[in-house]
This record gives sequence, C-alpha cells and structure tokens, in this order.
Amino acid sequence: MEKNYILFPNYSQGLKLESLLKANKIKYVISPTPRKLSSCCGISIMYNKEDEESIKALIEENSIEIKGLYKLE
Amino acid sequence: MGDYRDMWKNLGMDLEKHDVLCEALPQAFGDIYLSQENRPDAMNYFNYALAEVHGARIQEIQEEKNNGKKVIGTFCVFVPDEVILAAGAVGVGLCSGSQFWIADGEKVLPRNLCPLVKAFVGAKVSRTCPYFQSCDMIVGETTCDGKKKAYEIMEEYVPVHIMELPQMKREKNYEEWQDEIKLFIKKMEELTGNKITVERLRETIDLCNRKRRALKRLYDLRKNIPSPISGLDALLVSQIAFMDDIERFIEKTNELCDELEDRVKTPNANGMKRIMITGTPMAVPNWKLHSIIEGLGAEVVVEETCTGTRYFENEVSSEGDTIDDLVRNLADRYMNINCACFTPNRGRIDDILRYAEEYDVDGVIYYNLSFCHTYAIEYGKVEKALKEKNIPLLNIETDYSEEDAGQIKTRVEAFLEMI
Repeated sequence: MEKNYILFPNYSQGLKLESLLKANKIKYVISPTPRKLSSCCGISIMYNKEDEESIKALIEENSIEIKGLYKLE
Repeated sequence: MGDYRDMWKNLGMDLEKHDVLCEALPQAFGDIYLSQENRPDAMNYFNYALAEVHGARIQEIQEEKNNGKKVIGTFCVFVPDEVILAAGAVGVGLCSGSQFWIADGEKVLPRNLCPLVKAFVGAKVSRTCPYFQSCDMIVGETTCDGKKKAYEIMEEYVPVHIMELPQMKREKNYEEWQDEIKLFIKKMEELTGNKITVERLRETIDLCNRKRRALKRLYDLRKNIPSPISGLDALLVSQIAFMDDIERFIEKTNELCDELEDRVKTPNANGMKRIMITGTPMAVPNWKLHSIIEGLGAEVVVEETCTGTRYFENEVSSEGDTIDDLVRNLADRYMNINCACFTPNRGRIDDILRYAEEYDVDGVIYYNLSFCHTYAIEYGKVEKALKEKNIPLLNIETDYSEEDAGQIKTRVEAFLEMI
C-alpha cells in the first residue's frame, strides 16, 4: 500500500505543521522517518493522499520548512 | 526528523554502531505500532516521543545541562524521583530493552544473566545510549544480585550512587529505607549544590503524584470492556514515562485519557480475550510479548510489572512539616512496591488477584526474563493462588531475541483457545 510522508529539517517544524493539521482536522500520523527516505533520525508525518493539496497550502501559508513530500510503495 | 550526529558525537557516542540501532527502529515501530487499526489520535504524541527518543529529548536534556542542571540516570522504580527533582536535577530511565546491546553486555558479564542487566551494561560500554552518555551520575539499588554487581562495572565508566534496598518489610526495614533516602538527599545536594528544602520536596512529591494519577487514570480506562486502547499503546505510554519531561508527560497522558473517555461512551463489543501480564519489566523497545498476544487477537489490559502498575500505584503523602516527615512518607510508599526481591512477598499475589477481578481478565501470562531468579521462583506461589481462583495462567520465560517468537506464539495461541 502506498504511504505518503512529509520530512522536515528539524522536529520543531514537524510539530508546527502537526498543530496546523490538528486545528484543520486533517488526519495524520507521526512516524519515525523511514530509512528508505533518510538516514537521519526523528519524526516525519504520514498523511492521506487526498489531503495533499490542502496540506501543501498549509505549508505554504504558514512558511513551514520541509525537506519534501515523499511516497513509499 | 533532524540531524543529531554532532550532538551524539559530542556525547562521545559510537556513531557507526548507534546507526545500526537507528536503522532498525522505524521499521520495527512501523510493523508493530503503526500497523494497528483504530489507534487513538492522541498516540501521535507518543509516536513523536519514541521517534525522537534519542533525538529531540536528548537535545532538551543537553539544554538543561547547559543551564547547569545535573542529569541522573536510574534503573529501578525504587529510586525516588521526588529527590532528584527536588535537587533541581533531571531524572532519566536508562536504556535496557533491546537485543542490540546484549552482545556488548556479554563481553563484560556472564551470559547466564538476565537480558535487562546485560543490555544496560552493553548500552554503556558500547557508548550507544545517549541517556547514559548524558548522565552526571547513575543511581543503582540492590534489588537483585545481577544489577548489584553490574554497578561495580558501571563505576568504571560513570559515577554511581547505590541505595541499599532492604529485602524484608519489617518496621526496621522501613527505617533503613528512610536512612537510605536521607543519604541520597545528601548525595544529591552535594552533586547539585542545591539544598532540598521541605517546600521543594513537597512540591516534587505533588508533581510525581500527579504523574502517578495520570498513569492510573489510563489504566483505569483499560478496565472498560473492551479496553479503549491496545496493550501495546499503553505499554508505550508507560515506557515513555521513564524518559519524558514530567509536566509534558502528564499533560499528554491526560489528553490521551480525555480521548479514551469519549471512546468508552460508545463501546463496541469485540469479544477479545482480556489478558494480564505479570512479572518482569519491559523496557523500551521491548514490545515482544504484547505484539505476539495482540497479534493473535487478544488484548493486554493490565501489566503487573515495574513498567506497569508497580510504577504508579500508591501515592506519597505530602503531609508533614519536616524533611523527616516527608522522607517517612516516601519510604512508606516505596516500600509498598511488591517486588520479588522481598521475602516474603505476599503483597504481590494479593495485587495480582485484585487486578484479575478489577480488570476482569480471562487469563494471566507470567512474563519472566531469562535468569531472573526471584521472579522465576515466585511463579510457584502465583500459580497456586491463581489455581485456587480458577484463573488460567501461562508461564513464558524469554529474552529479547526473536529466536523463540514462533514457539511463544504457538503456546499463547493454545492458551487463548483454552481459556
């Protein structure tokens, strides 16, 4: 099953986006960053594909720093 | 996520070896935890805490150190956190739950020793636990021969203070434990340069009681049928309790409980068998038995262990006007923990019987880490008491390796069919 992740340069950016997702009632799961995506430790956020556009908008509007959106099959 | 390599390097860690541990965690956590269905949303905080257990939390601890705070590592629920906090220090539970550390532990310890002790020594000697690397002092105790002697090895790496825990519960033993707490207060005052005042100790007694209450609230919610939270998730909360910032932990655990309270308003009967685990502790990332049991469609609803009820049951009274009064209150609460290191230890059997009723369990699984003699011997008494009450019991003796996972699965499966 396809899984979608957002990676961050540091955890505080991740937590910042988390509170926005929560406030906007967008479903997400905090996950340890899969090794396939990065060898750095720490959190990433898993999200549902159908929410991608609204999440991108939130990232843009609130100047959240991210390393990128990734997909794992 | 973040790049913590500089921080780990400054802590003197073996980066290459530590990376092997980092590599395994996301996959294991994904398979065991994130694959669960219908998890409470509030578990996201605990996912965060676990994912950042060697990252953001260590960064916070380093910041505290830079502000002049001392970091104290502990390894047992008998060491009073209240004293550590009252001296303005940070307390952390130490790494000891992974097979990863066993090989290094066995380099300096005999192989026929409990995996918990081998892992905690292995974590230190291999320089792969950033908590250990952050510690200004480690507080040991004399709960078992393995740990008692392992602290002598530990002393070669980091300052150690040992508390002598009495092994009986007579009046004089309560007094002995009060004396040990007073020595510990003195030691903490010397180390930190901060005086432990009555006011300060009373504040931290209240703080630790609030933490106990949050965990008790979580466990009480698990008494619902069905439990609104999996045993795996509840175990993770308990494990994080040993490492996290205490105020934030209380807040996040209460948020989780708020969500669970909503859940139990509309119960969906699931017909799952309800299991109690009793025995030895499960330090992070030891999720082995829970994942086997819950993978077979049963639910773990209570753990009578040091990473379960023994950690939070009973509060410390904050009544009294002197340090002596408060120390007596501390000793009374801590000496009430029913660890198998005591003889006799009838209180533990009473606890198990009471929990069996309170949590309405269908069966009990006795979890014994290999070579933990006190718990292994006590099995006989527990078996007899449960038999008299017709409560089914299964004994599992195991370590951290995955070699026996298939065999345990078969035995648990047969047990679940039988009850």
